[in-house]
Amino acid sequence: MHAYANPARFLKIARPLTHWFGWIGGLLLLLCVGWGVFAGPADYLQGETVRIMYIHVPAAWLGMAGWSGIAIASAMQLIWRHPLAGIAARACALPGAVFAALCLATGSIWGRPTWGTWWEWDGRLTSMLVLFFLYLAYMALASAEQEADGEAGGEGRMTAIFGLVGAINLPIIHYSVLWWRTLHQGQSISLMKGSSIDGSMLWPLLGAAVGASLLFGAVVLMRMRAELARTKLEMRMRRLAAS
Amino acid sequence: MKAKNQRLVLIMVAVVAMLGAVLLAMSGLKDQAAYFYAPSDVLKSPPALDRPVRLGGMVRKGSLKKLADGVSVRFIVEDEAHAIPVQFKGILPDLFREGSGVVAEGRFLNNQQFVADNILAKHDERYMPPQMAGDQHKTGRVS
Amino acid sequence: MNQWHFVIAAYALSIPVLAWVVIASFVAMRRAEKAVDELKRGTS
Repeated sequence: MHAYANPARFLKIARPLTHWFGWIGGLLLLLCVGWGVFAGPADYLQGETVRIMYIHVPAAWLGMAGWSGIAIASAMQLIWRHPLAGIAARACALPGAVFAALCLATGSIWGRPTWGTWWEWDGRLTSMLVLFFLYLAYMALASAEQEADGEAGGEGRMTAIFGLVGAINLPIIHYSVLWWRTLHQGQSISLMKGSSIDGSMLWPLLGAAVGASLLFGAVVLMRMRAELARTKLEMRMRRLAAS
Repeated sequence: MKAKNQRLVLIMVAVVAMLGAVLLAMSGLKDQAAYFYAPSDVLKSPPALDRPVRLGGMVRKGSLKKLADGVSVRFIVEDEAHAIPVQFKGILPDLFREGSGVVAEGRFLNNQQFVADNILAKHDERYMPPQMAGDQHKTGRVS
Repeated sequence: MNQWHFVIAAYALSIPVLAWVVIASFVAMRRAEKAVDELKRGTS
């Protein structure tokens, strides 16, 4: 694994991957959302509003996956002290926050015609909102710590610890609908029990989720490359100034 | 032990401890964090009559009745064990169905009577096109 | 109210936001990598 943690080797793999992930992910997402929205069926109870799910559900998964990425990369950074892990963790923050925000917004738009309310403080909705605020706090902490470290070239250890601790919200979000009574419906798709979503809606949904994941990966790679380039630039500037 | 392995163990212990704390807290909060009362909770621990609460369950089939004034409705909210009549004045959400989930916001007049000032339709986790639904949607569970 | 209005609202919000995050990240990456390339060419 350390072989890939070398920035030069990482870039060699990341450059082509960024393009592939971006284009395939973007096209797949558009295609599957279009499939679901224009060609998919309406729901027997919800009617047309079920079509919001093709963005809401992938956004929810990726909002949570984004923090899982932050937590795993942060743990790797703390254990192996590898700067690339820290860069990866910070790169997950913005796309994760965007997907969490989209999940909340589209859920609210869905809730109005379905439940009859834009927002309710039930377990699932509240824990998802907490996730969004955690992202904001993480980004603020990351930029503050990088600024403070500045010349010292610190590793952003506080940020990493926060990223790791914040992961406790993930099981809360997941189990909120199982353990607490919530307005939000229970789990529809589970690895053990299969899915209670009909195939005509499930396939476009899964396609959209894969597409959104690839797009997420592309954004993370772009942000990692940007930060690597900025670090390189800073080091060269400093060397120029010294000579 | 090398410093690297020490950190690995330390972080694993920390993660396990955090996980344990959260799971413990969540199961402890199970009752407080519930978004609504189920009818059988009302039997077990009667709610305070003077504060607003939410009552959630299934709308009993055939129980929905319009009252004489034309805007009030009555229906029965039930779970596996118990049923409570609910009275509501206002517009029901589109997804409100007999045999489907509902959350009523309001207060108890007594153990046997609930007056709602807002009704939310609770959706379940099944999604399917209408032609497939048949009469499957007539059953459901609110946990 | 027409249910389609809600569907359209959801996507009218989501698509621009997603496009923004992809394009903004791409532009930031391009700019930083270009600056590195230029500096490399300038110094060697």
